[in-house]
Amino acid sequence: MSILISATIVGPLLAAAIALLFRRSASLRDFTAISGLTVATASAIGILLHVESGGTHVLRVGNWHPELGIVLVADLFAALVLPVALLIILIVEFFAISQRRTAWGANPELAGPLLLVLTSGVSLAILTGDLFTLFVAFEMILVSSYVLLTHQGQQAQVRSGMTYVVMNLLSSTLFLFGLAFVYAAAGTVNMAILAERIPTLPDGIRWGLGAWFFVVFGTKAAVFPLFSWLPDSYPTAPTTITAVFAGLLTKIGIYSMIRFHTLMEMDALGPALLAVAAITMLIGALGALAQSDVKRILSFHVISQIGYMLMGLGLFSVAGTTAAILFLIHHMPVKTVLFLVGGLIENTQGTSRLSKLGGLSRTSPALAALFAVPALSLAGLPPFSGFVAKLGVIRAGVEETATLVVMAALLAGALTLLSMTKIWIGVFWGPPPEHAVGPSPTPANRRLMYSATGTAVAGTLTISLFAGTLFDLSQRAATGLTTADLYIGAVFP
Amino acid sequence: MKTRLSPILEPAVQGVSPLALVMATYLLFAGHNGPGGGFAAGLVIGAVIALRRLADLPFPAVATPLIATGIIVIATVAAAPLLFGNPLLDQSVWKLELPLIGTVKSGSALPFDIGVTAIVVGLVMALLDSPIEASDEIPHVREENP
Repeated sequence: MSILISATIVGPLLAAAIALLFRRSASLRDFTAISGLTVATASAIGILLHVESGGTHVLRVGNWHPELGIVLVADLFAALVLPVALLIILIVEFFAISQRRTAWGANPELAGPLLLVLTSGVSLAILTGDLFTLFVAFEMILVSSYVLLTHQGQQAQVRSGMTYVVMNLLSSTLFLFGLAFVYAAAGTVNMAILAERIPTLPDGIRWGLGAWFFVVFGTKAAVFPLFSWLPDSYPTAPTTITAVFAGLLTKIGIYSMIRFHTLMEMDALGPALLAVAAITMLIGALGALAQSDVKRILSFHVISQIGYMLMGLGLFSVAGTTAAILFLIHHMPVKTVLFLVGGLIENTQGTSRLSKLGGLSRTSPALAALFAVPALSLAGLPPFSGFVAKLGVIRAGVEETATLVVMAALLAGALTLLSMTKIWIGVFWGPPPEHAVGPSPTPANRRLMYSATGTAVAGTLTISLFAGTLFDLSQRAATGLTTADLYIGAVFP
Repeated sequence: MKTRLSPILEPAVQGVSPLALVMATYLLFAGHNGPGGGFAAGLVIGAVIALRRLADLPFPAVATPLIATGIIVIATVAAAPLLFGNPLLDQSVWKLELPLIGTVKSGSALPFDIGVTAIVVGLVMALLDSPIEASDEIPHVREENP
């Protein structure tokens, strides 16, 4: 078990170094990247199976006592999110390999190794049991994301990359300050000890810390009003990069928020979180309606969907947290798939602007199907995974009689469907465009891209198929978070 | 024939370079129990490289292999304890009685530190060795949004 946990972090990092060494040889580099990610994903699935049957596993790094050293805690929440996250990166890597040979791909010599460093950071952020290591993991993710976002050096990328870097540096700085505050107030940064000590602190300090870390994680998660960096920067990056960012990065923010705020019993912040959640949902959905570019519409949806997860968290009930976790698991693959489809559209017709697209339902019906499934799922229509997730959030909201936020959630859902319709009409209906189409990928690459996307779509369908099991698991994970004693007991047996 | 930038800077940097490398080596070994360590050693070597760059003196430009090797070394040292059933990043310490020098204490932390040094030096090299220029191979120009 310790080997599995270590492999999810060290595996991708080692693969990144080897891929960097052999970056000029395409086949060696791609083989290293794929095998590193495969090892990590397989280990993550192994962790899930172990934790599901055997309970939380704690790895003491370097054999230090948790009060002194770093602990990696594989509780059910981490074990549920980790395989989904790593599987997404693996699928995107397959897509990236086939897209590299076309004009739209990222520079593989840079993107390959950096994506692996990012993967390692994602694993560390999910598994870590102390706040400082979480900061380190965030930095690993961010530093690689800065390069991935801007490495092509196009004007739009560098300009929006500036906002991205400045916002994230600001939030990292706030994170460091927050760490100092936490250490000053509680004398530790270990989350298990914090879960014991923070609830006993005076109210002002306690809620102050909660609000501070809400801003820190909120910036990473792009909640209202800290979302401005997202819709500008995401669409400019190469498809594969955007797909990973949209599927994972904001979600790591919300993941950390769920872990921190439930473990530290920040339930007094509930109303504030719900208000922010409602505004985030509506702003995101309305923003999406106003856009005229496929990737920009999808970027605004990322923001809107974050609102739902925040709403589940803000309810501070087991049902709410369960729904937030389920939403997280559903959202990661669905969002990634949508961006991959966006990339396929761009590959086929040379642009992602709605006004210049059209007629794809006739010319490539497979693409239409690949888009329709995750789009309907994101909008929350049965029988797709989004329906189960949204139903969970809304039911939890009704239970707590949070009427206003439930109404906002329903309205945002309808607006999401509307903007999906907008994409559908613009891209798939109407006459095909007459402008020149960019260089198209070779048939073999096209097949690989379609099968990568298809696998991911199948993955989202699997989630709706096993929604019952996942709901039970999410409920157990949520209980493990809301009952902090379980977490503390696992770290300090 | 290249022109000399400064009659003082160049010989000074020439002279300081080997001394600083000795200093870096000292820091690398001192780091186990005293102030110093792989990161500090890397910074000192990095400073030497920066000075040589300023004085227009040659320095090895092997950034990427250094960074990659450094990461491979650390990841291997970090993961090696797993093979013996110990947790990640566990370390073993050896004591040796050497003639003349006396007791030498070392351990698996040493290769880890060397790996850190390699990464830091590699990063400095990469920073100093990369002329900043715009890419000419823009695959396609994306339209601005109105």
